[in-house]
Amino acid sequence: MGTYLDLHVIPRTEDAAACERMASLFAAAHYATVGLTVATGLRSEQVRSVRRVFEDHGVSTVLRVDLKPSSRTELLRLLRRFRNQYDIVAVRCLNQQVAMVSCRDRRVDLVFFDSANSNFRFNHTLARLLHGALEFNLVSDLTQGDDWVFARIRKAIMIAREHQVNVVLSSGAKSYEMVRSPFQISALAITLGLSQETSIRGVSSTPSLIVTGNRKKRAPEYVEEGVQIVLPSRR
Amino acid sequence: MLVKIVCDRKLTTDQFHETLIASVKRYFGEVGLTRIDPRIIRFDGNSLTAIVSCDRNGMPEFESSMTLIQSYAESPVSVLVLRVSGTVKGAARRGK
Repeated sequence: MGTYLDLHVIPRTEDAAACERMASLFAAAHYATVGLTVATGLRSEQVRSVRRVFEDHGVSTVLRVDLKPSSRTELLRLLRRFRNQYDIVAVRCLNQQVAMVSCRDRRVDLVFFDSANSNFRFNHTLARLLHGALEFNLVSDLTQGDDWVFARIRKAIMIAREHQVNVVLSSGAKSYEMVRSPFQISALAITLGLSQETSIRGVSSTPSLIVTGNRKKRAPEYVEEGVQIVLPSRR
Repeated sequence: MLVKIVCDRKLTTDQFHETLIASVKRYFGEVGLTRIDPRIIRFDGNSLTAIVSCDRNGMPEFESSMTLIQSYAESPVSVLVLRVSGTVKGAARRGK
């Protein structure tokens, strides 16, 4: 069995019982790692306690921040502020200007689109620019969106497929009722038009590469791409 | 498939069957339902686990339908696929 990751989980940090139940379901669903999205202003003890709940169930965690800038300058300011503090940086693209900068910027790991916004979607221009990965929050989008959300996601999947962009499939779970297994999330993506191979990679190797790459970059010995400090004791 | 039903109330086999059929019908229609052919092989109301099966070619659709289940009689219900196996025996063994 492979290593499965769900990079978009939004636990209710104030409700310990709900977090506990969520963690047990993620463990039962064979997830190895989840990406916890917590409020940027949350105290570090609270973050640690939420992470401990998941880790006690055998699910490792990475911290993720969801940026929702309304302009290019705001995005660049937020990236400068939060890039070094979080393992995963994702941007919710609300307009073309923000989406273009997010797709081009190497500091952005994931971009995702508001499924409720019918005026702005993932398009061919963005697919050509994308450096990171495109994320689909399938469970939250499909269970809470309107009737047209299926068509919008299908269209985005077709564009992603045409340009062979990296796709990450997540649940976007905000409560334990929204936890689904990786088999279900990949099956949903297959039904919506993604290839079987890409959909399996979307819940396993693609998010895993993002996490390991970012862990490497956040290590103290990392300087820049191809350059790292080698201590004499480690030789 | 070995599945776990996540809900705060007790469900009977018939209620779970009704929920499954309604979801498949909603997303894939009557023709999809006959093609997918979902069945409940075993159901344990205490642990809220079940072994369900479907036509092999309709597996992604059936899993998708289960993913999109949200409620039964206005109370939240979700279905988590724990294991997928080619045989009922395999799914039952893995469920232990």
